Amino acid sequence: MNSHPLVSIGGLTFNVSNCLSTLIAAIIVFLIFFVLSRKIEMRPGKAQNCLEWIVDFTNGIVKSQFPNKSEARPFMLYAFVLFAFIFIANQLGLIFEIAVGGKTYVKSPTSDPIVTMALGTVTLVLSHFFCVQKFGFMGYLKSFAKPVSFLGPINLLEEFTNFLTLSLRLYGNIYAGEVLLDLLVKLSHTLGLITFVGVMPFSMIWQGFSVFIGAIQAYVFVTLSSVYISHKIVAD
Amino acid sequence: MQTTLWLAAESSSLGDTLFVLISFIILTLLVKHFAWGPITQMMDKRVKKITDDLDYADNERQEAESLKQQRMTALQDSKAEAVKIVADAKQSGKDQRQSIVDQAHSEAQEINQQALADARQAKEDAMKSVQSDVAQISVDIASRIIGRELSVTDQKDLVDSYIKELKTSNETK
Repeated sequence: MNSHPLVSIGGLTFNVSNCLSTLIAAIIVFLIFFVLSRKIEMRPGKAQNCLEWIVDFTNGIVKSQFPNKSEARPFMLYAFVLFAFIFIANQLGLIFEIAVGGKTYVKSPTSDPIVTMALGTVTLVLSHFFCVQKFGFMGYLKSFAKPVSFLGPINLLEEFTNFLTLSLRLYGNIYAGEVLLDLLVKLSHTLGLITFVGVMPFSMIWQGFSVFIGAIQAYVFVTLSSVYISHKIVAD
Repeated sequence: MQTTLWLAAESSSLGDTLFVLISFIILTLLVKHFAWGPITQMMDKRVKKITDDLDYADNERQEAESLKQQRMTALQDSKAEAVKIVADAKQSGKDQRQSIVDQAHSEAQEINQQALADARQAKEDAMKSVQSDVAQISVDIASRIIGRELSVTDQKDLVDSYIKELKTSNETK
């Protein structure tokens, strides 16, 4: 694997490939939504229909996790942006991966555990924030002692495992996809033209499958995020 | 000191996390401002419009239903009324015919009776006038007989004519 270029600014160190890829994915997401939302009318055009379909899709994910539909409203925007961002980020590394001098500059940002954990942190913080907002701080503390008090440590542990599984599932899937793609590329260079042509169909198949995995993982991440948030704010 | 700084510089976890968080939050705000806000507003508006339209259509349908009911009852009423009118007309026509026929009968009878009475009256009048005429004639004849010199033949002729006159007057009686 290629190593990652590091840049240190004001005492903080940044991994250029992570930051650049995140930025590119964010810009692509913004541009897509910006272009699709130019003409908003009562009778939708093609672009608006497409955007509304995505909105309906992510709203459906959130709504299906909340028994009370009015409580689902604050998370719809989060689910919408999160889904789009992860989906684009997953596909980014499949479309192009730029490496200069043995250092990777652009790849899937989600193939790095730090990025997925940052996204998982957003879900984690949101779930705890809304739990405190709904039940008050004492209610929030009491929620760890449910259904019985001696399960408190396990509930506490669950917060960490939820966070880790949520983040690392996404990272593992995308990272594995990129590793296999990398290996296929390396294999294609071993024996010149024969392996180059021979490996090509496998590479294409795996890329297609990776697109599928990227979409599924974006869906899973958003679904589990809303599950964790609804689990925190629904009084049982 | 040097090694700890170097180690800190080597780990990019904090910087990357902050970068991802900040860029994600900025992305969320931008998307909310440019795409999410308008599109959800429009979708809510559309939901409201569709609900309103459906309510309106329901109301209209109910109104149409009641109007239809009213029309049906009115139609049935008018049918019954028409039947009644026809029956009434038939009845009144029959009554009128009967009354006209009765009236004609009675009038005819009256005319008949009047005619009979008139005829009788006329006969009586005629009789009366004949009688007075006869009396006058007798008086005239008597005065003429008395007034003239009577020969035998004249006498005979006179008597004959007299008798003849009497006969005819008797016959006419």
